[in-house]
Amino acid sequence: MTGSRRLPLLLLPAGLFVLAIYAWPTLLLLRNAFNEVGPTGAMVEAWSLKTATDTFADGFTLELTLNSLQLSLSATAIALALSYPLSLFLFRTDSRFRGLLAVIAILPMLISGVVRVFGWLAILGDRGLVNTMLQSLGLISAPIKLVFNWTGVTIGLAESIMPYMVLALLAGFGQLDRTLEEASRSLGASPVRTFWRVTLPLSLPAIVLAAGLGFVLSMSAYITPKLLGGGRVFVLATEIFEQATTNTNWPVAAVLAIYTLGLLLFLLVLSNLLARSLRR
Amino acid sequence: MSYLELAGLQKRYGGSVAVDDVSLSVAKGESVALLGPSGCGKTTTLRMLAGLIAPDRGTIRVDGAEITRLPAHKRNMGYVFQSYALFPHLSVARNVAFGLEERGIAKTEIARQVEEGLALVRLDGLGGRRPRELSGGQQQRVALARALVIHPSVLLLDESLSNLDAKLRDTMRHEIRSIQRSLGITTLFVTHDQVEALTMCDRIAVMNRGRIAQIGTAEDIYERPTTRFVAEFVGRANALPATRNSDGKVLLWGAAQPVAAPAQGEFDLFVRPQRMRIVPASEPAGGETVRVTGRVLRSVFVGDHVEVLVEGAGGQLAVEMPSGTPAPAEGAEVAVIWQARDSLPFAREAA
Repeated sequence: MTGSRRLPLLLLPAGLFVLAIYAWPTLLLLRNAFNEVGPTGAMVEAWSLKTATDTFADGFTLELTLNSLQLSLSATAIALALSYPLSLFLFRTDSRFRGLLAVIAILPMLISGVVRVFGWLAILGDRGLVNTMLQSLGLISAPIKLVFNWTGVTIGLAESIMPYMVLALLAGFGQLDRTLEEASRSLGASPVRTFWRVTLPLSLPAIVLAAGLGFVLSMSAYITPKLLGGGRVFVLATEIFEQATTNTNWPVAAVLAIYTLGLLLFLLVLSNLLARSLRR
Repeated sequence: MSYLELAGLQKRYGGSVAVDDVSLSVAKGESVALLGPSGCGKTTTLRMLAGLIAPDRGTIRVDGAEITRLPAHKRNMGYVFQSYALFPHLSVARNVAFGLEERGIAKTEIARQVEEGLALVRLDGLGGRRPRELSGGQQQRVALARALVIHPSVLLLDESLSNLDAKLRDTMRHEIRSIQRSLGITTLFVTHDQVEALTMCDRIAVMNRGRIAQIGTAEDIYERPTTRFVAEFVGRANALPATRNSDGKVLLWGAAQPVAAPAQGEFDLFVRPQRMRIVPASEPAGGETVRVTGRVLRSVFVGDHVEVLVEGAGGQLAVEMPSGTPAPAEGAEVAVIWQARDSLPFAREAA
C-alpha cells in the first residue's frame, strides 16, 4: 500500500496543536523550575536546583503528596465500586434503552466542574438535602459535616471521575464473552462462583485501566478539592495554583507541577503495564 | 425406556416462536442429531436442555427426574460450545479441571481425572498450555474433555465442528463418535451439516421452523423422507414436476411413468441424482423403471463423481455418475432412467 507510508501525515494537525499548547508551555515550566526566588519574593533567572531541593526538603510537599494519593485512592475505590456493576449492566443489557442509559451514565462529564461542585454543596451542605432529611427523620440532632472537609472532596472526586471510568470499563470489557459464563455455569459453577472465577478475572484488565484513569484524574483535579475542601484540604493541585497565583512564586509552582506530572506519568505507565500483563 | 425426555417444549421471543412443541425421547447411550437450517430452533432447544434459557412451556426429564426449572449449574450436562468457550485466563489443565473443582473433588483426584480426560482426547502433556496456544482442533478437544470429565448425564454439542477445516472435521467426527460410543454417553448434537448428522448419530431429528419435521435413523431420513422439507434439506434431490391424470396415469416430461401418486393433479417427484442412470436414447425402459429423454447440457467433473445436467420436455435434472465412467458428450440425446421405488412424490408447496 502506497498510502500507508503517508499515514503518519494524519498525525500532523494534532501533533502541531499539542506541540503549541502543551509541549512548549511544559518546556517553559521546566525552565522556570530552575529559577530562584530572591529575598524580595521576585523571580531571579538562574540555572540552579536550589528551588527544587528546598521544595523537596520542605515536609509540606510530602504531606501534599500523601494527601493527594490518599484522596485519589479512596475516590477511585468508591467510583470503581459504583461504576463496575453499572458498566457491567450497560455492557450486558438487551434493553432498548441501553444507548440512552449509557448517555445518562456519562452525562456528568458534560457539565462544568464548578456547576457540579455547587450541586454537591446543595446536597451535602449543613442545610443541604442530606442533612435536612436526616434531621427531619430524627436520625441526627446536629448537621453532619459533609463538605469543606475530606469527606466532601472524596465524594466530589468520586462522582467526577465515574463517567470516565464507566467509559474505560465499557471499552475494556471487549473480551468478556458471555458464552464463557455459560460454560462456567454448565460446568457446575453457581452465578456467584461464575462471577469470581470467570467474569471478574476476565474484566481485571478493564478494572486496572479504569482505576488508573480515575486515579490520575483525581490526582490532577483542582476545582473539586479547592471548592469542596473549603480551604481545609491541601493537595498538590491546589498548592500549585496557590503558589502560582496568590504567592506568585513561579519557580516553586513549576517544581511542584513538574513533580506532579512525573508522578502521574509514572502511575499511568504502571497501570498500563499492569493491564497489559493481565491481558496476556 | 427413554432416558432423556423432552415433552411439548416451547420458546417464544416476542411475537416469533423459536421452538414450537418439540417432543423427543432419547435412550441411554444414544446419540441424536438435531439437524436443520439456521433459525430452525435447534440451538434454542439445546440451550433449554442445558438450562441456559427457560422454556415457556413443556418439560424436560432426565432419568425420570424433571429438571425443567433446575438452574444450569445443577444440571450436570456437558456442553460443548460452537466457539469452544475455553477460559482464556486458565491453562488447559485448569480448564478441564474447572467442573471437577466446582464439585469439590480432592486435588489429587482432580489431577488424575484431568490427565485421563486429556489422554482421552489425545492431548497428553499439553495441560500447561494456554488455550490460545493450541490449534482449533486441539481447542475443540479441550472443550470436549472439559465437558466429559464431569461425567455429564447428557453431552450437548452445539455446532461443535463448524469452526474446523474440512479435513480436521472429518477426523473429529470419527473421534467424537468413537468416544461417545465407548463411554456410552447420551448425546444430543446440534448441526446444520447433514454429513455430520448422518455419520455421528444413531437417530436424526430434522427440525424446521421450530418443530421436528421427522425423526428416524439416517437411512429413514435419507431414503424415506416423510415431508417435502426433509427430502429437500437432506441430501440432494431433483424435484421433477409431474401430473396425475383422471385415469390414474402419472405423466412426467410428457411420458407415462410407472409410479404411484398421492392425489390427482400436479405434484413433484423427488429423485436423488445418484439413483439416476444415463443410457443411450435407443434403450427401452424396463417394467419398474422410470424413463425420460433429453439432451445433455453439460457435464461437470466433481472428483468422486461427474454431474451431468440433462434438459428435456419438463425442465432440467441433474444426474450423478461415478467418476471413471465415460461421461456423455454435450448435446447428446440420452435417456435417464431410475427405479420407480426411488421416486418420492410430494405435493406442491403452496406459494
